[in-house]
Amino acid sequence: MKYCLLAICCWVTAAQADPGQPGAGPLNVRFPGAVILDSMSCVLPFTRAGNLILVRAKADTTDGYFVIDTGTPNLVLNITYFRRYPTTNPTESGGITGAVTNATQTRVDSLTLGPIQYFHVDADMFGLGHIENNKGFKIFGLLGMKLFEGFEMIIDYDQNLIYLHRLNRKEAATYHSHLLDDTSAYQVIPIDIDEDKVIVHTVLKGKKLRFVIDSGAETSVLDSRLPNKVFESVEVTRRVHLDGTGSQKVDALYGNLRDMQLGDQTIASLPVLITNLQAMCDAYNNCIDGMLSFDFLSLHKIGFNFVTRKMYIWK
Amino acid sequence: MEVRRIGYLLGLSLLMVLSGRLRAQEFTIMNNRMYVTVPKHLSPEQLDSFEVRFDLSDLNLRSILQKGKFDRLRKMGWRIEKNTAGVLQISRQVLGLSDMTNPEKRIKLTEEHPTFAEMFPIENDNLKYGYNRFVRKRPFLVRDSMVTFYMRGHLNARQVMLAGSFTNWQFNALSMNRTDSGWIMVVKLGAGKYWYKFIIDGGWTTDPDNDLHEDDGRGNMNSVYFKPNYTFTLKRFRNAREVYLSGNFNNWLRHDIAMEPTATGWEVDLYLAAGTHTYKYIVDGTWYADPDNPNQLPDGERGFNSVVRIGKPRIFFLKGYGTAQAVFLAGSFNDWKREELSMKKTAEGWTIPYTLGPGNYSYRFFVDGKGIPDPANPYFVSGNGKSDSYLIVSPNFTFRLHGYGTAEKVYLAGDFNNWTPNSLSMKRIGDEWIFSVHLSVGKHLYKFIVDSQWMIDPGNQLWEDNEYGTNNSVIWIEH
Repeated sequence: MKYCLLAICCWVTAAQADPGQPGAGPLNVRFPGAVILDSMSCVLPFTRAGNLILVRAKADTTDGYFVIDTGTPNLVLNITYFRRYPTTNPTESGGITGAVTNATQTRVDSLTLGPIQYFHVDADMFGLGHIENNKGFKIFGLLGMKLFEGFEMIIDYDQNLIYLHRLNRKEAATYHSHLLDDTSAYQVIPIDIDEDKVIVHTVLKGKKLRFVIDSGAETSVLDSRLPNKVFESVEVTRRVHLDGTGSQKVDALYGNLRDMQLGDQTIASLPVLITNLQAMCDAYNNCIDGMLSFDFLSLHKIGFNFVTRKMYIWK
Repeated sequence: MEVRRIGYLLGLSLLMVLSGRLRAQEFTIMNNRMYVTVPKHLSPEQLDSFEVRFDLSDLNLRSILQKGKFDRLRKMGWRIEKNTAGVLQISRQVLGLSDMTNPEKRIKLTEEHPTFAEMFPIENDNLKYGYNRFVRKRPFLVRDSMVTFYMRGHLNARQVMLAGSFTNWQFNALSMNRTDSGWIMVVKLGAGKYWYKFIIDGGWTTDPDNDLHEDDGRGNMNSVYFKPNYTFTLKRFRNAREVYLSGNFNNWLRHDIAMEPTATGWEVDLYLAAGTHTYKYIVDGTWYADPDNPNQLPDGERGFNSVVRIGKPRIFFLKGYGTAQAVFLAGSFNDWKREELSMKKTAEGWTIPYTLGPGNYSYRFFVDGKGIPDPANPYFVSGNGKSDSYLIVSPNFTFRLHGYGTAEKVYLAGDFNNWTPNSLSMKRIGDEWIFSVHLSVGKHLYKFIVDSQWMIDPGNQLWEDNEYGTNNSVIWIEH
């Protein structure tokens, strides 16, 4: 999949200070609430549905809420609203837990997120009705990791704002948001980008574990197949039944993971869902040991530089 | 009484610590298998609690331990690892979801998987108190959050189910266990009001031994159960003929809540909503404050009422007024009693902790008898030519007005703030104006005021006429 990032537009007009005014300028029509800072940066308001982060985006002529989902590689469209789109041959797809599947693919001519425009974007089509029913929001799709790979992204939960900055080649090594000026306010943790997944390395009982940082995960997840020594640090609190195939139920466990090291800090207790993540290994020849959900990492702000491969966790 | 509660809390904390330790041994994971270790010395009630705590009710451990037959467990995929005089240890492989082939299923995997109690929360809006009225049987046994529902008799029935507001009725009805005198089922519940019925061999029935029942508005009668959260104990007057409990929660009714005699005095279990409650005992017609409760407030008749607080207190603070002789807090939460809540003087001003439950309240400070609104609170309600400060505790509903990005000021007004027009200033977030308030169950009327222009909610199709012919938007808050 190739994205053509053509424009991060800048219209500095009086109307931009009041983006909700109908007809004040092209920005207003497209993105109510978005504020342009400069040619490479923008600030987008977001809404939370549970722990999911919803932003307004526009796929061709259809605009509405999309979920920011770093656990998914591609743009995903909710088939309910894009059924009329021509589809290409099914191809392999899958999020981080996805076994290989035949996803229906299509393409949108333009995807607009704040002042950022992508053109000719390949997209997977899936039904997202369960998320809509569960959250009570009309959700048009998921914005996957590939859309953000050239960006610095800072999510401010206190203000409900996402700060995005497209890093060009010249500034890639030097740029940082003004929000990062106070280095005592946050911790920097190195990340990897592996097959469009954000990977962070942690240590538990001397074992190195690879976790995916997943904005679409509402709960952190731990693989039940990890070494027994890891589970010496887990206090199981209860069993839970997950919906399996058809009416079949599959057991999983809830527990608290103690004393996991993430960067320089030790997480005293991390609530986790424990299940067998074999399906992930089947989809990628590269297993991960679990997923970390965003909300646990910081109650205030969390940020990423996907170019220099850093994660910022505010205290 | 406060000492007794602290002791109870300490005991509960200790129990939780101990149970945490036990859990680590009782439920573990090794080699991709979940191991459950059941101590055989547990009483039947403790076994039920064990099952509910870990969501293992489908195992029916009590029956398995009694009969020593494991065929059913094996059919369910469990392996018997250890079966000694002391413990039964079983294990089962942890299977993953094999069909998580799309991103939605990944998100579904990680979303919250609530327990019964979390899925079907207590429905106690507008409820200040409640107590049970069982006849011919004792109240359901309560241990911590575990309630043992009991159906007397019907020993010849093939199956008895328990269905209620906490099981989404029939959808997750619970199969009860037969005992030598009836049927029981242990359910984890938070304090509050619940509705339930028994299903005896397919036939639905209310609890014949429970005098509390309510029509659900659709022609169905259901039994009512209050999970209590406070025990009133009077360790005196053993020889009294009758003792009643009376308080602000039941509008000081004299003969409403009869206390039960005990070996040492009198007692009654109550569900009390979050907030501050004042009460007295009526012993053979004479009113007494609780002699064992040091927490008291003036009763306005040169005496004192005893006080129970449910929930965390919030601090009311009035800055300055260092030369004032006395400052009181009064509001809708204490029926505007001006000399009940005496504030304490500090170096910075005047302060008082006070516990409030969810709701919207109006209040004032009374400085040497003169009422003033809270200068630190931007919200107020107007009426009768004066303004009172307005406090929203635990908002449960967010009003949203889409668009109107050019508006300078947008306010919300409705029956919940006495239609005060310029108080509840809505906040612009994204392309919406929003404001959150607490709405009680039932019907509410409201409007938005956009740059001084009253308007009904364009996003709400429900509206009705008002006396000015300008219409009001309508919203219903349901259980």
